[in-house]
Amino acid sequence: MATTTAPVPSLDERRAALERAEARVALQRRVFRAVVALVALGLIAFPALRGTFSAFNYVIQVLIVMLMFTAMASSWNIMGGFAGYISLGHNVFMVIGAYVSGMLLVYQGISPFVSVFLGVALAVAVGTLFGLITLRTRGPAFIIASISLLLMTRLMMDNWKAIEGASGLSLPIPDFFPTLGKVPMYYGMLAAALGAVGLAYGISRSKFGLALRAIAMDEVKAEAAGIDTRRYKIIALALSAIFIAWAGTFWGYTLNYIRPSAFLSVAIAADMALMSIVGGKGTVAGPPIGAFLIILVTELSVWLFGPSELNLAISGTILITVLLFFPLGIVGTLQNRQRDRLARLRAAVEDSGEAVMKGA
Amino acid sequence: MQWVQILILGLMLGGVYAVMASGLTLIFGVMRIVNLAHATFILLAAYLTFFLYEFLDVDPILSLAVTVPVMFLVGIAVYLLLFPRIENSPRFVESTVLLTFGVALFMEGTMGRTFTGTYRLVRPTYGTESFLIGDLYIPKGQLYALIVSAVLLLLLAALLYGTRIGGSIRATMQNRTAAQIVGVNVRRTMALSFGLGIALAGASGTLLSFLFPFFPASHWEWVPIMLALVVLGGLGSLQGALIGALGLSVVAAFVMTELGPTWQPMTFFLALFLILLVRPQGLYGKPLEA
Amino acid sequence: MPLLQLEGVTAGYGSAPNIINGVDLEVEAAHSYCIIGPNGAGKSTLLRAICGVLHPRSGRVLLDGEDIGRLRPDQVLARGLCFVPSDRALFPAMTVRENLEMGAFLESDKRVIAERLERALEIFPVLRERATQRAGTLSGGQQQQVVLGRALMMEPRIIMIDEPSLGLAPQIAQQIFRTIASFADMGISVLLVEQNVRRGLNAAQSGIVLDLGRKVLEGPAGTILTDPRLRELYLGRQAEAAAGSGDDGRA
Repeated sequence: MATTTAPVPSLDERRAALERAEARVALQRRVFRAVVALVALGLIAFPALRGTFSAFNYVIQVLIVMLMFTAMASSWNIMGGFAGYISLGHNVFMVIGAYVSGMLLVYQGISPFVSVFLGVALAVAVGTLFGLITLRTRGPAFIIASISLLLMTRLMMDNWKAIEGASGLSLPIPDFFPTLGKVPMYYGMLAAALGAVGLAYGISRSKFGLALRAIAMDEVKAEAAGIDTRRYKIIALALSAIFIAWAGTFWGYTLNYIRPSAFLSVAIAADMALMSIVGGKGTVAGPPIGAFLIILVTELSVWLFGPSELNLAISGTILITVLLFFPLGIVGTLQNRQRDRLARLRAAVEDSGEAVMKGA
Repeated sequence: MQWVQILILGLMLGGVYAVMASGLTLIFGVMRIVNLAHATFILLAAYLTFFLYEFLDVDPILSLAVTVPVMFLVGIAVYLLLFPRIENSPRFVESTVLLTFGVALFMEGTMGRTFTGTYRLVRPTYGTESFLIGDLYIPKGQLYALIVSAVLLLLLAALLYGTRIGGSIRATMQNRTAAQIVGVNVRRTMALSFGLGIALAGASGTLLSFLFPFFPASHWEWVPIMLALVVLGGLGSLQGALIGALGLSVVAAFVMTELGPTWQPMTFFLALFLILLVRPQGLYGKPLEA
Repeated sequence: MPLLQLEGVTAGYGSAPNIINGVDLEVEAAHSYCIIGPNGAGKSTLLRAICGVLHPRSGRVLLDGEDIGRLRPDQVLARGLCFVPSDRALFPAMTVRENLEMGAFLESDKRVIAERLERALEIFPVLRERATQRAGTLSGGQQQQVVLGRALMMEPRIIMIDEPSLGLAPQIAQQIFRTIASFADMGISVLLVEQNVRRGLNAAQSGIVLDLGRKVLEGPAGTILTDPRLRELYLGRQAEAAAGSGDDGRA
């Protein structure tokens, strides 16, 4: 039924199309929120299934890993996505949390559930100090400094006798283990994940988040507009340290063993960045989705090829592919498309409105 | 050990570091790419040299005739495959860091799978012999590496200042638009420069193959060294990279003697932080801002 | 046949809307033109679209009848069309001599290069004195001379110059314009973009007025200068801009 020119839809038709689209978006948002609430409730309730099926221990371990990376990727995203400052050294916060809690547990018998706050405080302090030193210049100096921080910390800790260096420290088995297994660690990690996503959500809605976005888009203009970019960047860095340290505490507790290589590996640094980028750097939902997908892919590759270096090659390939072809990530691309569609429909209505007003 | 001995050891190593740093500097200077995968190409060449030695008995220094051209072609291929797509993206420099990080992971993973994690070292006879001049021990391997490095750097200078291609590379480094309007084929120059940079990485890899044992993850040991050298010299300045290489390696040699080999990389880390703190544009160059 | 012909050329940057909205133009050999127009008219963009730094989105750019719209800048240069951008694109670490010699990059005969260099130094004697000085250390006016001298080294048939007097003191700018005005006598066509209407039109034989990406006026430079429509255009644009700033921001 081809016609030479399509009939121009009337103003009413265009307005109706816009309203339909907006309603659809509102519905999607409500559904999404419901799903998130369900998932959260499900995660909270999950440990009640302990003892009911044999794969429980495997599943809870995988969930702990997913929650850990959700916490870490979401936190990383505050600096890398919201502020636009990519870091490849955020693992340092993780190892601080792990060692503060681990050492206090071994030498003073203090439970990680208490000492986690101390680990977080130290990580925030270190992050602030690091930010003060390296956030004076814009651009790639920060990434380079962050890699150096990672490698340097690894070198120092591997050779530091007081913390047993590279061989690490074994943590005592907690009293609750026979009855509760890893469930308490699970809740600790769940708290980290919920906290990190909540923090990201809160920032994204705040004026602070707006300022960070301005910095990410064009730092020179942001400065010219009067934003104290250095202060905001440092605060972002400090905030991003919180739940990474928290996750580190509970990961060490889960492993029952702390050694630098378990935390300060390049693979983990890569994963934090990769998960956020694949999911959607700068979005709130992106990092958790990215974490879920990457861990799925990792488990799959381990199942197919065994735990080999090939995982690194796969991570690298995914990173390159996403950077070249999907720089906004999954959530980012979807959000963008939705925004564009709405803008186009809105423009169609407003333009015609103008035409009507000008008497055309 | 007397300080002259340490100085000499430092300088000899500095030569090889200078070749490494020059490749990275060239790549940044011409294309504004921060190549985190540079050290993986160094390793690749080292492995290539190793297998040429093990299976074909090719002396490592002679194998330069193979590794350098091969790495040159690898460099051009990598450039054309990955970089033209992001040429015009905002925050280009940062994107290159992430992109090359991905390349580094890929290379490390593939090399690890292919070559396994065994430590390798090429062992030509001169690898363990030394000249004795008075009280000074001059390890033959390192001396030869220094001589070869010096020759390579001279050839690089000759290329850059004495040939038309070299002129187009320098022009593109100094002002890309100006280069375009005088008729330089900028795309081709960038691909060639990347190839050249990786070829230099390859050369240093061949030299390092008989100086230090290596395994797939050891490239991360070289990353901070190179970053420090290049940032110190001023990303984009070849003279700066050269001076930085010689200077820092001497300092590192002293650190190694006093504190032991594990702390040697620390010299470079601290140097890096200090530079970023005090003088982000390095000795000679443009600041790291994109 | 005119040397350079533009037919319905549109162009813009990235995914942004068109800046050039359909321009038709003819450039004769050994003739100088000055392109003027209010801010945002697309003058610089037009030059870039011709020389290959930017590619036209539609329309044709014909040099000697050949469509050069898809060619790279170095290919366009090889056909005798050179571009001098507004930010004095020099090689700062190279000497004046080296900068000039880079102008002859596409030429391989050393004798020819030496001849061209000699000619350029005659036209710009200041550069002879400073031949071994690093170009980055020169004054604005001297740098502009280097850039123009370098353009001459390319033995172009058409030189396109974008705002040569930017940031220069009036007397220096005057000298530059006098030199540019003499290019047509040397057999080179000049396409000059200039903000200063009087100075620009005084340095050229013909004037072309652009507004909002379209050609609105064309003719001998002297006639354009005194055309009342020109004043209206500039004043009108200013008035619109002033009215627009109190608006709700809608474009």
